Amino acid sequence: MNAFEYASPTTKEQAVKLLGNSWTEAEVLAGGTDLLSLMKDHIVEPKRLVNIKSIKELGGIAGTAKSGLRIGALVTIQELLDHPRMRKEYAALVQAAEGISSPQIRNMGTIGGDLCQRPRCWYYRAGFGLLGTQESGEPLVPNGDNRYHAILGNSGAALFVNPSSLAPALIAMNARVKIYGAKGQREVALEKFFTAPTTGSQREYDLQPNELVTEIIVPPLARAKSATYEVRQKEALDWPLTTASVVLTMTGNTVKAARIVLGHVAPTPWRSTEAEAAIVGKAVSEATAEAAGKAAVEKAKALSKNGYKIQLAKVAVKRAILLAAKGGTR
Amino acid sequence: MAVGKNILRKDGYEKLTGAARYVDDVTLEGMLYGKTIRSRIARGRIKSIAYDAAFDWSQIVIADYRDIPGKNYVALIEDDQPLLAENEIRHYAEPILLIAAANKDLLEAAAHHIHIEYEQWSPVLSIEDALACREIIYGTDNIFKRFLIGRGDVEEGFAQAERIIEGEYRVPHQEQLYIEPQGMIAIPGNEAMTLMGSMQCPYYIHKAIKQLFHLNDEQVVVIQMTTGGGFGGKEEYPSVIAAHAALLAHKAQRPVKLIYDRAEDIAATPKRHPGVIRHRTGVRRDGRMVASEIDLVFDGGAYVTLTPVVLSRGVIHALGPYACDNVRIQARAIATNTPPNGAFRGFGAPQVAFAYEMQMEKIAAELGMDSLELRRINMLREGDTTATGQTLIWSVGSEEVLNEAVERANYQAQRLAFSQSHSSIQTSTTNHVEAHKRRGIGLSFFLHGAGFTGSGEAKMKAQAGIEIMANGHPRVLSGSTEIGQGTRTIFSQIVAEELSLDFSAVEIEEPDTSRVPDSGPTVASRTCMVVGRVVQMAAREVKAKLLHFVAERFAAPEVELREGKFMVAEKALADFQEMACEYVNLFGELRCFAHYASPPEIEWNEETYSGDAYPVYSWGAEVAEVEVDMDTYEVTVVRLTTAQDIGRAIHPLLAAGQIEGGTLQAVGYGLLEELVWDQGRIINNRLTNYIIPTALDAPDMETIIVEKAYPHGPFGAKGVGELPINGAAPAIAAAVFQATGAFLSEIPITPERLQAAIEKVTTDEHR
Ligand SMILES: Cc1cc2nc3c(=O)[nH]c(=O)nc-3n(C[C@H](O)[C@H](O)[C@H](O)COP(=O)(O)OP(=O)(O)OC[C@H]3O[C@@H](n4cnc5c(N)ncnc54)[C@H](O)[C@@H]3O)c2cc1C
Repeated sequence: MNAFEYASPTTKEQAVKLLGNSWTEAEVLAGGTDLLSLMKDHIVEPKRLVNIKSIKELGGIAGTAKSGLRIGALVTIQELLDHPRMRKEYAALVQAAEGISSPQIRNMGTIGGDLCQRPRCWYYRAGFGLLGTQESGEPLVPNGDNRYHAILGNSGAALFVNPSSLAPALIAMNARVKIYGAKGQREVALEKFFTAPTTGSQREYDLQPNELVTEIIVPPLARAKSATYEVRQKEALDWPLTTASVVLTMTGNTVKAARIVLGHVAPTPWRSTEAEAAIVGKAVSEATAEAAGKAAVEKAKALSKNGYKIQLAKVAVKRAILLAAKGGTR
Repeated sequence: MAVGKNILRKDGYEKLTGAARYVDDVTLEGMLYGKTIRSRIARGRIKSIAYDAAFDWSQIVIADYRDIPGKNYVALIEDDQPLLAENEIRHYAEPILLIAAANKDLLEAAAHHIHIEYEQWSPVLSIEDALACREIIYGTDNIFKRFLIGRGDVEEGFAQAERIIEGEYRVPHQEQLYIEPQGMIAIPGNEAMTLMGSMQCPYYIHKAIKQLFHLNDEQVVVIQMTTGGGFGGKEEYPSVIAAHAALLAHKAQRPVKLIYDRAEDIAATPKRHPGVIRHRTGVRRDGRMVASEIDLVFDGGAYVTLTPVVLSRGVIHALGPYACDNVRIQARAIATNTPPNGAFRGFGAPQVAFAYEMQMEKIAAELGMDSLELRRINMLREGDTTATGQTLIWSVGSEEVLNEAVERANYQAQRLAFSQSHSSIQTSTTNHVEAHKRRGIGLSFFLHGAGFTGSGEAKMKAQAGIEIMANGHPRVLSGSTEIGQGTRTIFSQIVAEELSLDFSAVEIEEPDTSRVPDSGPTVASRTCMVVGRVVQMAAREVKAKLLHFVAERFAAPEVELREGKFMVAEKALADFQEMACEYVNLFGELRCFAHYASPPEIEWNEETYSGDAYPVYSWGAEVAEVEVDMDTYEVTVVRLTTAQDIGRAIHPLLAAGQIEGGTLQAVGYGLLEELVWDQGRIINNRLTNYIIPTALDAPDMETIIVEKAYPHGPFGAKGVGELPINGAAPAIAAAVFQATGAFLSEIPITPERLQAAIEKVTTDEHR
């Protein structure tokens, strides 16, 4: 790890002033569970770390069943899980958070950090840049080991998958993010927050170097049914192979509206309007859920080694729908 | 009585309280930090090395091959591995330069200002490429070593066979993943060099440094610090890192600390050898094996290092715990442009165990026979003869372990129940996720030769000693290291038992080459059985001397040592401590050394590679129960039942710990662990992407220790360290086979591999 300057502001105004105009100047430090390993591996080498953990207003969960939720960016994964309203009203988010093991990471890692964590692509983590290229610029992923890489949205330069499990759940819930920066406050739909970079110097999300995620706004969901289904190779200290989060508005067994978002399949969380269209208006059954799963991967395109993920994504969507319809408990 | 008791570990308190000092905890006056500059190509030559003129090099110590006082190689089996590359590069991450500086920031900065240019040559990166000989990178045929063993008449055997069954099996690299990465401190002196660090084998380093600097036995001192795990990974490699640290220290004339971080450790240090193993087995309809032909190829990596020894264990274990009169086993180790592979718990045996056990499953399936029955028909029992012509004369717990594992796991009933539930499964129409899950149960049966192969122990003549300290308590003098496996604890138990003392009275000397004799390396499941035996013999000698002394002193010829007291009949004359003190006061010291001698019954022929390959074998059987999600290819190991015959458990809890730990490491081997390579470099050299099982992935484990005493081991003990890593991978694959019908001939069983295998079954069925 390189030497760096450390700042610990107590307001977001101060924090933004301490952040720079380019990504090499400063990085935001929340729980540090991702940032520190990136720094140890010399993947990011900021000159200054801006610790935001002392900024009180970035913490806490507030809201009512009517107004929805306001989740501060510093809320830890464990705080999410412990919140009394979560489990009943936001099952998909809880199930996604539960997948993030170990207890240490749940206690240190924050929701803001989960959304802004950097890709796990091993080429990126081994120092070959965000897009995984040889010094000559030749891309490594297409002919390399891409077993965990994207099966959707993979026609551009970015072939990594977005690593957040919370993002698909929150996007399925139609959440929004509040961002504070040098130019003031703005708010974007979380669905629009994530982007697939076309060059290695861009980021995977819509933030300027001097902007912060301050909170996440989740609309009321008490009457919807939601679930997240994860497929994993190993139970702890690992990211899922694929996830699907669904939020269904139902009358009886019939789906009136649906939002279906896949995780770990594309450079961004992947909303599948095809799967939504396939299930809306239908009664939930093994067959209709299966059809929605099929629709979700209709446009999927395997790289050389990740064909199996198409099947996993299909099954995840199917099982998330069945799980949500059942009331979210397995 | 100390043996057989679960006493507190000797090293437990220090480790638990954080008082134990690992190499990275030590900082010395004037110490520099070292770093290795490594190649970034797999094969080629160095065109130029440039140092940025703008950088201030005055504070940096730089060493290259020209600074090596002796010859530029790492002393192992063959001297083909340079300490620092001179010109040719044979693998990615090969050391080229060493740099040192007073702080790590400066060191990192300096590293960025060195530019190495290469001419790249086409690398050999797989076993197939090496055998095809399109590029020759070693000798004339890329082959490091060959063995051919066998007995009987294989052609005649196949002629008698009613069925001939062939199989090809593939096993991957595996990383040891000790918790503490490699690290060493070198302290230069006047015509002297001291090394302290994380290691399994102080005397390997001693030898390497002596040769490197032309120093004698006394001038080089090697001290083992508290070591955070080894698993074989700290057998040979610490000689390299010690030599590097010593070179820098020599040049700087200051102490140098060289510690790898995890990424460097995984990228550059040895792994378990990957292999391709082919079986061709002739059987009669009743299951009896009448001919077996096995061809195994291990990938040694870029340099010979320990590969011939690993291959030798592989070839000897290739037929497994089975008897067959007509056998021919060919083994080859080949060269590739990848970092050298080396010692890892099991040392060639886990690779062949996966192959021979899957071959048993395949034979059983093709004969339409129960695979347990097939094993029983062919298994080795006392009096039987192995592939090298060794007749098993003692301590053969093969039947016991198989019976215990099968019974405790309720194997036969479960196997029947699962096979019936599969045939009754209909395409499910419920909304129930669980309908996609299938259960299976599988078995593996295996053996492991304890101690060095062949005449290794006879040549090594391991030494150990006991000295009586000023307080009259014994201290063990041995070069065997504590690497978490319990050396200190069991040695103190053995001595306490022999001298009828409390184990807390026994002290273990630090493994420091200036204070302890060469007990041989801490490898090959030999510490308890071989060195423990030598320690026991030394203790016996101390006892004999003291008995003689007491007998004379009290003029009592019939003295005995019981419960720490010298007794004549029921009368106590004096206690041990008192007499031991008196002896030392009178004669100046009481030190007894013993060395290992092979049992006279043991005979090995190095030329024909036949005879008693090991003095004795440990035996194991393991039952795995798995649940497989047929749509997502997730495999969950539900339960593992393991029975292992280890002769005698000196410390049952530590022995069970070895078995459970080794078993879980083997679960990783079978299901998860895979190095990902890209043009000769490892790209998942991080703990977040080289995945190993954690507590949540650990199944329920039941461990049964079987004790078939070995007459030449201490209190009957034989090896336990490596045996357990042989069993889980094939047992899990056999269980997956029952659950899914998919026969996996390659590990790890990743989702993508399982999908391909299941799809193959489905298409075959529809044909
Ligand atoms: C072994 C392991 C397994 C994991 N498994 C999973 C999993 O299954 N699913 C999953 O979703 N995640 C998983 N994670 C990721 C984990 O959830 C994240 O590391 C964690 O949530 C990040 O939060 P943090 O506060 O520690 O972020 P930090 O490490 O502090 O920051 C991460 C990144 O986000 C930026 N950042 C943080 N907060 C803000 C903010 N408010 N505004 C702007 N930028 C910000 C930082 O600058 C940095 O670039 C795993 C992590 C580990 C180590």
